[in-house]
Amino acid sequence: MAAEDLPSEFDIVILGTGLAESVVAAACSRVGQRVLHLDRRSHYAANWASFTFNGLLTWIQEHHEESQPEELQDWSSLLEEGEELIYLNPSDSASIRNLQVFCFTSEKDEEEEAQSAVPPSTTEEEKGEAADDTVDETESADPKEEESEEKPEETAAGQEGQGAQTAGEGPEVDQSHPSVAQSQSEPTRKKISYAQLVKEGRRFNIDLVSKLMYSRGSLVDLLIKSNVSRYAEFKNVTRILTYRHGNVEQVPCSRADVFASRQLSVVEKRKLMRFLTSCVEETEEQQAFTGRPYLDFLRDQQLGDNLQHFLLHSIAMVTEDTPTEVGLASTRHFLRCLGRYGNTPFLFPVYGLGEIPQCFCRMCAVFGGIYCLRHSVHCLLVDKDSNRCKAVIDSRGQRISCNHFVVEDGYVEANRKNVATPTRFISRAVLITDASVLPSGSDQHVSMVTVPPIAAGSPAVKMVELCPSSMTCMSGTYLVHLTCQSVGSSYQDLSPVVTKLFHTPESHDQEHRPSVLWCLYFNMADGDGTQVQGHNLPSNVYLCSGPDADLGHDHAIRQAELIFQKILPEEDFCPPAPNPEDIIYDGDGTSFPEEEEKQEEELVEEQEVQTEE
Amino acid sequence: MSMEDYDYLFKIVLIGNAGVGKTCLVRRFTQGLFPPGQGATIGVDFMIKTVDIKGEKVKLQIWDTAGQERFRSITQSYYRSANALILTYDITCEDSFRCLPEWLREIEQYANNQVVTILVGNKIDLAEKREVLRQRAEDFAEAQSMLYLETSAKESDNVEKLFLDLACELIREAKQNKLDNNDTAPMPGEGKTISYLSCCSLN
Ligand SMILES: Cc1cc2nc3c(=O)[nH]c(=O)nc-3n(C[C@H](O)[C@H](O)[C@H](O)COP(=O)(O)OP(=O)(O)OC[C@H]3O[C@@H](n4cnc5c(N)ncnc54)[C@H](O)[C@@H]3O)c2cc1C
Ligand SMILES: Nc1nc2c(ncn2[C@@H]2O[C@H](COP(=O)(O)OP(=O)(O)O)[C@@H](O)[C@H]2O)c(=O)[nH]1
Ligand SMILES: [Mg+2]
Repeated sequence: MAAEDLPSEFDIVILGTGLAESVVAAACSRVGQRVLHLDRRSHYAANWASFTFNGLLTWIQEHHEESQPEELQDWSSLLEEGEELIYLNPSDSASIRNLQVFCFTSEKDEEEEAQSAVPPSTTEEEKGEAADDTVDETESADPKEEESEEKPEETAAGQEGQGAQTAGEGPEVDQSHPSVAQSQSEPTRKKISYAQLVKEGRRFNIDLVSKLMYSRGSLVDLLIKSNVSRYAEFKNVTRILTYRHGNVEQVPCSRADVFASRQLSVVEKRKLMRFLTSCVEETEEQQAFTGRPYLDFLRDQQLGDNLQHFLLHSIAMVTEDTPTEVGLASTRHFLRCLGRYGNTPFLFPVYGLGEIPQCFCRMCAVFGGIYCLRHSVHCLLVDKDSNRCKAVIDSRGQRISCNHFVVEDGYVEANRKNVATPTRFISRAVLITDASVLPSGSDQHVSMVTVPPIAAGSPAVKMVELCPSSMTCMSGTYLVHLTCQSVGSSYQDLSPVVTKLFHTPESHDQEHRPSVLWCLYFNMADGDGTQVQGHNLPSNVYLCSGPDADLGHDHAIRQAELIFQKILPEEDFCPPAPNPEDIIYDGDGTSFPEEEEKQEEELVEEQEVQTEE
Repeated sequence: MSMEDYDYLFKIVLIGNAGVGKTCLVRRFTQGLFPPGQGATIGVDFMIKTVDIKGEKVKLQIWDTAGQERFRSITQSYYRSANALILTYDITCEDSFRCLPEWLREIEQYANNQVVTILVGNKIDLAEKREVLRQRAEDFAEAQSMLYLETSAKESDNVEKLFLDLACELIREAKQNKLDNNDTAPMPGEGKTISYLSCCSLN
């Protein structure tokens, strides 16, 4: 298709399609600004994206390839009187590191082998449950060697990356000795093979971030307020689980849960109800604990170990040294969100979180915003006198003028950012498993699992288990996301938890646990610290940070609203888009103006009622 | 709107290269207009038209690309939960026909398995400028197991038929699915819109 030229004049140019950028795009376009929204990548949502299985393999590969430093072109010929250039980063490879892939399932399906047209690599890698006791992680690493290459020097937050290296050696070892261990004892259920994961790859929508939507959080409020919610569908998170004493247990959430709970004694039930009811209001008792750990406050309430664990780790989701006022605030937030849509505080978008930025992009486009992936901005043209960005030069060398420029912070050189703390990282793991961590009558659960630190100094891990009806994984599998604030590399932080909760070659004695078929570890830069206004950057340039480690989306939404208010201080942020149902045409093509008017009136009334409420 | 206003609700999504006449097809069908004013679509997400098929009220929700096809940047979410896709090319533009395999790849990646796809060759009023022979398009459609129809949004040729045929096909499939529904396959999506969730909430 002939590449159409972009218009050369916009009000706002936005580079990067992460959540905050996309919300800014929708908000600006909605109130009539001419928006150009670009992304260098070929997919939407930047580090907020979700991928099919095959798409994820490609993403992994791209992040392994040495990013060739793109040659900086000299655009100075495009400079006009009194202007200077600011070059943007040609690649953002710094935000993802320590990628490691492991495949713990056989490469091919036994029965299909004969006729299946599986790609050339024929390495037999049968790793049935029957694999011998000497199995270690290296033997079972991913057969796809190019995806498991290690860059040992790239480790998170100054850690030496011990575990990462060891594991990374896997593939070579593996390639050199093809399979020996054919399954000796037939497993009762046939394991899904790697070939099947690839074949059914498009059934997966694997998010790079793992978050949930608080049902009374700022994202849900914004989706409803703006009508962007019409572009997506949602599922309730149905269970809150926690890992405790080596078991996965359900945390009673709603009152009904509490009453139904079999883990809690009658006394505990009463205590829990009393505590949750009382903690909604501020009391002198609570104030006495201000600044002291929430754990101390809970201890003082004499709740007992069970309840203390639930309240600290699963409801407040804080750590043992979190101050009481913070712990209480999160407990209240949790309770406020309970029962709005279901019996947990959370929603999850069907097809994954990567849909959300795209929904805002759609809204922007519907109001005239222009979208262009695989298209970047090379540099900014800055007016020296006013220190404002007048225009940008895109990757085709076109000069595009704009009044404001919004950019994902990965495109901006580190020395131009205002970062509060040295860059922190988030540790992430993605597992494809063959069963739920807490099997139950229903296979339709979406579960939030809190895993308290498993050893002193270990991070608290949040885990989300998604079922196939969330449209994020193929049938017969579960998609499990683990997240924590990095202490070491992702592998160091999360593999001990994976080993405890799942059956892997490293925990081959745990056959009763779900088996990990495939898993990915990586670290992602924590977007928490970045300020929207840069350092040494023109005043009309705004930075959006990548995903943060929180469970909710408040950070990105707050950032987007802040940027919008700086750009358009007088305008309303994401007012509701008109409802297309207002335009109704009659059945057989002939429109009856009178009837149409009447219908429209009725609909308007209906809408007003809705907005009032 | 209450559920009783219609027997079926289907989401139909248009795709195809920019300029082939997608927006014109929708506007012609829903409003009887041609050519639609360019600015007029700003802020309009989808168009609704309720048709009567053998006594059953079928509400069609017809989604246009919002221009994101211009630079090959349609969001995946656009394809989700579509019941039918209208893949459009311009019979006077070879290039728009040659891009069809690329569009099919997108469909394969992001659309629902059960989606009904119809291939539409638009602008048959410009017969003297035709670049894609009908036979070629028919063969292509057949090979991809798609329905095929040629239309003119300008002259209103086959536009009504396009949407009514689709509606019939969708009803047929829906009835078929109901019959087949005793199998254990999980329902696709199962998600609910936020407004629906809220009306079901226990609060
Ligand atoms: C222990 C607990 C205390 C809470 N306290 C508050 C609070 O003070 N303020 C707040 O805003 N939110 C509070 N919440 C959250 C709020 O109640 C949720 O919205 C609610 O849990 C949603 O669940 P539900 O609507 O499914 O069940 P609910 O409608 O709460 O109740 C489900 C069933 O339990 C019965 N039931 C409920 N409460 C009692 C009771 N006290 N005694 C006997 N039977 C009962 C009901 O009759 C019903 O049959 C609390 C939640 C829990 C678990
Ligand atoms: N002659 C003729 N022109 C058409 C027809 N349909 C659309 N057009 C013209 O083709 C151009 C692009 O139409 P549009 O609906 O905007 O295409 P879209 O980009 O696919 O939505 C406009 O100039 C229309 O007037 C048709 O059936 N016949
Ligand atoms: Mg159009």
